[in-house]
Amino acid sequence: MKVSYYPGCSLEVTARPYNLSCQQVCRSLGIELAEVPEWICCGSSAGLKKDHLLSLSLSAKNLALIDQQSLKNVLIPCPFCYRRLLSAREEIQGDAQTAETVKGIIESDLQAKYSIQNILEFLQTVVGPEDLKSKIQKPLRGLKVIPYYGCYLVKPRQVTRFDDPENPVSMDEILRTLGAEVLSWDFKTECCGASLSLTKTEKVVELSSRLLKEAVWKGADAVAVACQLCQSNLDMRQGEVWKREKKNYQLPILYITQLVGLTLGCSDRDLGLDHHLIDPRPVLKERGLLS
Amino acid sequence: MFRLSGDPNERAFLNLIIRKSGQNLLECLQCGKCTAGCPIASEKVPGPRQLIAAILSGMKESALANPTWLYCVSCGTCATRCPVEINMYAVATALCETADKEKSASPVPEIDLFEELFLNSVRKNGRVQELNTVAQYNLRTFKPFKDLSQGLSLMRKGAISPSDMLKGSKKSAAASGLFAKVHQVRQGE
Repeated sequence: MKVSYYPGCSLEVTARPYNLSCQQVCRSLGIELAEVPEWICCGSSAGLKKDHLLSLSLSAKNLALIDQQSLKNVLIPCPFCYRRLLSAREEIQGDAQTAETVKGIIESDLQAKYSIQNILEFLQTVVGPEDLKSKIQKPLRGLKVIPYYGCYLVKPRQVTRFDDPENPVSMDEILRTLGAEVLSWDFKTECCGASLSLTKTEKVVELSSRLLKEAVWKGADAVAVACQLCQSNLDMRQGEVWKREKKNYQLPILYITQLVGLTLGCSDRDLGLDHHLIDPRPVLKERGLLS
Repeated sequence: MFRLSGDPNERAFLNLIIRKSGQNLLECLQCGKCTAGCPIASEKVPGPRQLIAAILSGMKESALANPTWLYCVSCGTCATRCPVEINMYAVATALCETADKEKSASPVPEIDLFEELFLNSVRKNGRVQELNTVAQYNLRTFKPFKDLSQGLSLMRKGAISPSDMLKGSKKSAAASGLFAKVHQVRQGE
């Protein structure tokens, strides 16, 4: 099976482990990822905030590039890009005048009839739990994982229409398929502070601190995420959080694709497990999941 | 909260924001569910409910000076919980565009600066050069060593490398052309 792949800017640099593990997992599952040729940034939160037409046009340009691949599904691991392309398509297709303006800017027509998939949706529907289960070599037995969805995959509900905005379950189900012990908590979709990490670091430390303290209190071995902003905030700001709390914890923050990759027998290096500030390998070794 | 009369002049700002954002703020019940769930609302940042109240009352200066719309991370929690489904990040964009046009003083200049540097990088390169943007921001805000220890640790682990700074310096004609066209359309408006 061949699937279009739009990684987004972060996955090229700061979120390389997410990119690596997405590709490794797909390779192991026999899925060919065809990266969108010449894709550009979707404008991210800066574009969305500062210039509506620009943000819309950047997304439209990418949607048109995906068109050229003539594939049925496009996988967008970055939840922000995923939501932005999804809502841009809906806005353009829902208003003839907007469509005309955007067409003039990107100089091409837009069909965009393919299905836009986030990573959880992709694992659940394109791969499917039976197929995933049949390929598992090393289940995550004994690993207590807390699923953290963040905002952009499920909110606003009117935009993504994916899972439940307050109590999503898709990642829980995938983790259970992987054999992990899934912990339940109330903060599944509480915000980590997202793009404020650089400009309002104290806000991100405050928000991430709540999440980390709760996850530790619940007894998690690791937090599973599907967003590079969640990963980076919880991993990079963790030192500041525990220093402030006068605690000495190390809670690994792992991409769902890294956990899937582990069960499929991928190596720690191939999954970028050595690239996080909080090293997840000690706890994975302790649980017998890494040699 | 005072009510606006039907006088078009009095309602000009409210109508502008409603038109630009596509959000019918007149339906707002002022229930406060938005601010209750808003991650960025704090003692210093009033949150969506007060911001909408200012717009509904025609208080343009107060609305443009409210830090809420610059802090907004578009998490979508308010839109999800709002009984009349007002999407606040669409309102934030409308306010940001209006503030730009009017050249009013930014309520949170550092967030403005970061977003500007970010988009400049996209215009030049087609994709944002994350590390360059961060470095530029830290220099421009006179905090050149901010987050340096995390950056160095990540480099030691091989997660990022100095060559990432140089890498994407390829110019993207597609992106800069698109930015120029959007600018043209804006000027024609």
